[in-house]
Amino acid sequence: MNPVSLYDIDSLTISPVEAPVERQFYPYADNGGTSLAIAGADYCLVASDTRQSSGYSISSRYSPKAFKLTEKAVLATNGFFADGLALTKRLGQKLEWYKHAHDKEMSTRALAQMLSNTLYYKRFFPYYVFNLLGGIDEQGRGVVYSYDPVGSYEPEMYRAGGSAASLVQPFLDNQVGLKNQQGAQRTPLPLDTAIRIAKDAFTSATERDIYTGDYLEIFVIRQEGVTTERIDLKKD
Amino acid sequence: MDCLIGIVGKDFVLTAADTSAARSITVMKSTEDKSRDLNKHIVMLYSGEPGDTVHFAEYIQRNIRFYEIKNGIELTPKAAATFTRKELATSLRSRKPYSVNLLIAGYDITTLSSHLYWIDYLGSSVSVPFAAHGYGAYYTLSLLDRYHRSDISLDEAKILIKKCIDELKTRFIINLANFKIKVADKDGIREIEI
Amino acid sequence: MDSFVNNFKKSTSTWEDQSLLDNFVNFDPVKEFSLPTFDIPSCLNPIEFLKAHTDENSTTECRIKLEHGTTTLSFKFQGGIIVAADSRASSGSYIASQTVKKIIEINPYLLGTMAGGAADCSFWERELGRRCRLYELRNKERISVAAASKLLANMVYAYKGMGLSMGTMVTGWDKTGPNLFYVDSDGTRLKGDLFSVGSGSTFAYGVLDSGFDYELSAPEAIELGRRSIYQATFRDAASGGSINVYHVKQDGWEFIGNYDVGDLHWEYQDQPKPSLIGDVPMFNIQS
Repeated sequence: MNPVSLYDIDSLTISPVEAPVERQFYPYADNGGTSLAIAGADYCLVASDTRQSSGYSISSRYSPKAFKLTEKAVLATNGFFADGLALTKRLGQKLEWYKHAHDKEMSTRALAQMLSNTLYYKRFFPYYVFNLLGGIDEQGRGVVYSYDPVGSYEPEMYRAGGSAASLVQPFLDNQVGLKNQQGAQRTPLPLDTAIRIAKDAFTSATERDIYTGDYLEIFVIRQEGVTTERIDLKKD
Repeated sequence: MDCLIGIVGKDFVLTAADTSAARSITVMKSTEDKSRDLNKHIVMLYSGEPGDTVHFAEYIQRNIRFYEIKNGIELTPKAAATFTRKELATSLRSRKPYSVNLLIAGYDITTLSSHLYWIDYLGSSVSVPFAAHGYGAYYTLSLLDRYHRSDISLDEAKILIKKCIDELKTRFIINLANFKIKVADKDGIREIEI
Repeated sequence: MDSFVNNFKKSTSTWEDQSLLDNFVNFDPVKEFSLPTFDIPSCLNPIEFLKAHTDENSTTECRIKLEHGTTTLSFKFQGGIIVAADSRASSGSYIASQTVKKIIEINPYLLGTMAGGAADCSFWERELGRRCRLYELRNKERISVAAASKLLANMVYAYKGMGLSMGTMVTGWDKTGPNLFYVDSDGTRLKGDLFSVGSGSTFAYGVLDSGFDYELSAPEAIELGRRSIYQATFRDAASGGSINVYHVKQDGWEFIGNYDVGDLHWEYQDQPKPSLIGDVPMFNIQS
């Protein structure tokens, strides 16, 4: 006898037990990617790769996650791309309002504090983003601000963030910070050297981090304004 | 880990509270007063969730003061305990209840009698001849059962509370280095050494 | 259809549309002095949601790692108050920074320290600074340390159970003299003479308690604070970087210095360990 006929088919069409169904609220993803920022005497460099991944799949080879916020500041957002976009849009709006209210562009220092507060106002529902803010201050000197997802920040001279941060940061500590090198000559870093270091950092990160690659976008912020450069990285 | 003890005598109430403020495994402070005076004749001892304790005690203290100023009368220990119990019971049914255990000890100037109320965070309130809160209760209640009399004198009560503290020092694993002892009687509240 | 639309009409964040206008167009004094408004996820239990994503032991795929790990200390002595702290921030096993300023200058006469969540400490102590300034403008008088610390304790107590993590010491000199308070995110507030907070605090306490004497001179007290933090960085992997030392005096705080733990190690290694017998000073003071 066919075993299926043992059961009453009709009764199986409605569920036998009424039980609460648990649904997960999981609004986060990690889209990978790496960014780096170096501050010089009269410039700031913000470099970011453009690969966007979800798991082992590459969603996009060119999806920039570094954005020019003002003429004097660029924000690199690492982590969850959608939150990075939402945050950038919100900052853009706030900056626009600031411009209309005060008839001037927001200074980089003020922008840095505003970004911190914006992140903290979502303390109980954080943006899953690790930010790097590069720019020049009122005196025209380069500055880098690095953030955690809920807005703890500090000004620095150089910083790597994102999926390959733990690969790139030690390299920068050695090449830019000259850490643990006795008698090292601490001279201001020229822009071309900074760009060379950034390129080396990213070609190397691409070799060892699956979430980094495709293209490298380099923003250079100077008193005259922001310039952008795009370089190819390995696409495997 | 806090320990509160109270003893009612003929015309006084004697209370003791340890003075340790611990966070995790560290004693942050060893001179913390875990009591608030509700009025001239009533003292309230508190223990429980850090933060909640002081916040709730000061809330009760100020509301009782305010009531007394507004109406120009002094609350009896029973009135103070009833008010406090109700506040705790209301809080228990809210989104964020206070986790605070209390002893309210006071001298009633209208009936010339002393009272002790044992109140826990669930809103139970009992008028008792002696009481203890915390792990200390497991060591001291038997002693209090054995030695307490309703006509106990202040000198005897001091010895009894010393017995309780000594027992805690010998048997309780946690070092409660110091206790703050207070008496409430017809003259008001005062701190004493034993 | 209407009920379907209504389900989505209530925005997750009512905050957004408010803030843009309020910040720049209107001035609403009530809002100005109330607690800030925070965005809350619209799920059944927002607190559990936050815990699942930020908790140390959570195994979520993309956990939000908040910066943690610290040693801070502060103590009263004859010449005022010494405040010292390390400068390491770690998220998991990664050292996120070696240059964190864990001693927060709330204003020229108040200091706060940072242990626990870095963002929690800096945000609320900045907010405290704002409120202290408002107090000053309203009352034509500086706020006492006791009042300032209570403002902070009350602010974070309002968020109790929501996952804030803050262990701080508020210090300063007011009408009543030098003052030191411990305030944490449970809402605890303790007045005291000597505190240490953070993962390395037990190690710092050991050296600090054994070497402490109220009659210490200022250079001795500074050295005791510095040495205590150093010993904590030596034993506690989550503490390190460099040591910042501040001295609170009658006319406000003074920054004493920043000492790299790496350099300090060799300096201390050359010093002989003090004898424990007889009246020998515990520390060699470098003049």
